[in-house]
Parts: sequence; structure tokens; C-alpha cells
Amino acid sequence: MQARPYEFMIKETPAREWSEGMGALIAVAFFCGGVAGGLYLVSLYFNNLWGMFIGWLFALGMGLFDVVHLSKPTRAWRIAFRPNSSWISRGFLFVIFFIGAAAIQLALSYWAAGNPAETFFKIVAGILAFGVAIYSGFVVGFVNGIKFWNSALMPVLFVVAGLTGGSAILLAVAAYTSAANSATVQVLARFMLVFYAIVIFIHLWVSTYSSPPARDSAIMILKGSLAGLFWLVMVLVGIVIPLVLVSMAGPGSSAVLMVSAAMVLLGNLALRYVVLKAGRYSPLLPS
Amino acid sequence: MRWGMAIEMKRCIGCNACVLACKAEHFVPPEIYWNRILIGEKGKYPHVSKLIYSVRCNQCAEPKCVDVCPTGATQKREDGIVWVDENKCVGCRYCMVACPYQMRSFYEHEKEYFPGQGLTEHEQIGRILYPHQKGVVQKCIFCKERIDAGLAKGLKPGVDRDASPACMIICPTGAIHFGDLDDPDSDINMVIQMKKGHQFHTEFDTDPSIYYID
Repeated sequence: MQARPYEFMIKETPAREWSEGMGALIAVAFFCGGVAGGLYLVSLYFNNLWGMFIGWLFALGMGLFDVVHLSKPTRAWRIAFRPNSSWISRGFLFVIFFIGAAAIQLALSYWAAGNPAETFFKIVAGILAFGVAIYSGFVVGFVNGIKFWNSALMPVLFVVAGLTGGSAILLAVAAYTSAANSATVQVLARFMLVFYAIVIFIHLWVSTYSSPPARDSAIMILKGSLAGLFWLVMVLVGIVIPLVLVSMAGPGSSAVLMVSAAMVLLGNLALRYVVLKAGRYSPLLPS
Repeated sequence: MRWGMAIEMKRCIGCNACVLACKAEHFVPPEIYWNRILIGEKGKYPHVSKLIYSVRCNQCAEPKCVDVCPTGATQKREDGIVWVDENKCVGCRYCMVACPYQMRSFYEHEKEYFPGQGLTEHEQIGRILYPHQKGVVQKCIFCKERIDAGLAKGLKPGVDRDASPACMIICPTGAIHFGDLDDPDSDINMVIQMKKGHQFHTEFDTDPSIYYID
């Protein structure tokens, strides 16, 4: 980036590394991780093997996009060695161990259901799934230079987003497979959509009380350059329409619920991108 | 021992000599700056003053970049210098995002200073003497090679030119002081105490090693 007098680091500077070019693929990785963990956890609760399997596939996707966004992917193995301080290192381990544990659990559940080892691996994979869903919130929340990110709500927001996406997918799967507990999953999916909307708006609202860069990030999302993506994709497509569809869908509406799930996922992906794009550093020079 | 700088802003004239000296010393690629001159304004007409800040990596005592680096490529030496091992960096750019001072650069594309005209002699020499790896993060390293070489010869960094950072020795007004912050009798500590030097943005809890004197 060129040095621009009177502007660069004099005014608030946008964080570009993870919102432009190949770096933006990390938003896709965070999205896959959130959905992987969320879907696996809700599927574990409702004992839906298909949901767990799809969650496992999303975890593979997260691993793939995590590696692809690196400029030196052949060195990716080095990321495993600093879990003592780096959240990316911790997340890498969560994902790797989750993929392994969930694969064993899925195999046991399919071929040896009821085996004590199956229960053990369900517990292990469940704990790791929570780590996979929440770690990206900590990655972003650790950055104290970007006040919009540096919030205790960020990990909560990412986990809730993951659980919302997961419950939407599980609802579609349950309807498609005519699972017995699809009505309960429908209640959960509705609840998660409402809760997700509340958490988003609380974070934006609190940001307006926070430091000027955080306030400006919130304003950018609500009525600035990201407003279109926020209101149309995140809110309308990602929350409002799916809420209507989920509320009105009957027991045989698997196609409608699949469309609803796809919309929720689109909104989920938009959330990660909007959060990363809205990050702004405080001016370096004193005002 | 903890190497640090004190920069007197009243002496800094914004000539950019430090920026160019750093570029020349390390053959820094185009569009990447290890140090910069930031120019801003303070106040309203008719009481306006110009702010000129010479900024670079603050070589923090509590560096966020070292904490977040997932591979250990970003490390802090015992003398406080924070550097990047290019052979370990995977290019995740978390250190760039985490640095509250935005002092890191990512070397993404190999470029020439004069596109279409081939490499200059300086660039050709740089490819041999100081090759930069593409796809990794780089930043100011307080000219650690000069410091290490100077100490090996018994020279004193901050006093002897051959052991001091390039930006410090090129400064025409002597605005940049360099020395050991842990030595209470060092020139840099005298300057900081007498002229009331302050760190940048202490709210980030990084304990920077560069002090600014208004």
C-alpha cells in the first residue's frame, strides 16, 4: 500500500488483509467451520447421522479453505505447533482432531451402533465441534487494534451463527429423511434464527457506544458501504425469509426447507465477510 | 538489553531520508515500506500545526504479532528485536491483522521499480545479497544485521555508525536516537527522560520500544 500523507493511518484505516484478494478466503474457512461445528452439535443432540456427516464435510471444507488462503500452503503443517498462544494454531488442531474423531464416530455409528467406543467418540467429537465453531470468533476477537472485532460478543456471535446454519441444514435433512423429531428441529431452527438476529443487533448496538472506529464500523454496516450486503443478504435472505419459510413449512416441505437452509447459509457467509470487511484500525496519529 | 528508539518530532522535517535509507539497506521491494513518514494536521485555522511522525515496527516488549503467529515465524530476540523467519512464515497474515500499528507488509507479487524496463543494478544486487521471499510478511528489524555485526566488532549501536540502524544514521537532523532502553545511563534514556518521551497508543498494552518526543 502506498503511503498517502494526510490520509494513511491519519484517518481510520480499513483492515484489508482478510477482506481482499486470497486473504478473503479465510471468511469462507470461518463460515465452513462455524457451520461444521454447529451442524455437528445439533445433529449430535438429535442423533441424526446424516447431519453429523454433512457437518464433517463442512469441516473438511474448512480445512481446505484454511490451507488455500495461505500463500505457502505446503508449510501448513507448521500451524499445529503454537497452540499455547495462537488461536489459528488452536483452531487448526480443533479441526484436525475433530475430522479424525468424527470420522471414527460416524463409522462406529454406522457399523457398530451402541458400542461404548461410539459414545466416547461422540463426546470427544462434540467437544471438538464446539471448538471448531467458536475458535474463529476468538481469532477475530483477540485483535485489540480493531475495536469492532475486539468484543466478548464476537465468539458468541460466531457460535450462534454456526448453530443457526446447522439447525437450518438439519431441518432440511430431517424433512427430507422424514425423521421423527423434525417438528422439534423446526422449533429449534426458528428459535436460532431469532436469537441469531438478536445477537447481531446487540453487537452492532453496543459497537455504537464503543470507540469511534467501532461505531464507524457499525454505521458502515447499517447504512454505509456494507448496508446492501447486510440488509439484503444477511437480514432479508439470511434471517427474515428463512424464518417465514420455516414457520410456514409443513411436514413434507423438504424442498422449501432446503431453499431456506441455502438462504441461511448465504447469510452466514455474508456475516463473516461483513465482519472482516468492516474492521477498522484507530488512527495512528493523535487527533 | 532492549534496543529502542527515541524520535524527536520537532527535529523531524519529513524529508523521507530514513524511508529511502531503509529501502536501500534492505533492498525492500516496491510498494513495501518498512518505515514511513506519516503527515497529518492538528488544530483548526488559524491555529494549525503539522504533525510529522516517522513510524516503523515498534519492536514491542509485549508483541501481539508473536502471540498470534501460528508457526513461530515471528519471534522476539533476547535483545527485544522482533523479526520474521521467512522460512517458517505461511502467509496467513494474522500478524498483520493483529498489529495495532499496522507496521507489517506482505510481499505478494514480485515487481520491478521500473516495470517493463528490467531490474536496476541495485535490484539485481538485492536479489543476490538480500533476497526477499514472496508470499511472506516482512517488517522493520532495527537493522539487526548491522547491530550484530557491529557488536561483533566491539562497536556500540546508537553511537557507532556501522552498528546503528540505517534510518538513524541517515537522518540529517539527528531526530532519531537509538540505544539500550535497559541501560539507565544510555543516551536514549537521557533523551526520553529529559524531553518526556511517550509511547504510541499505550492502550494496546504492547509496551513499544519506540518513544516519541513532542
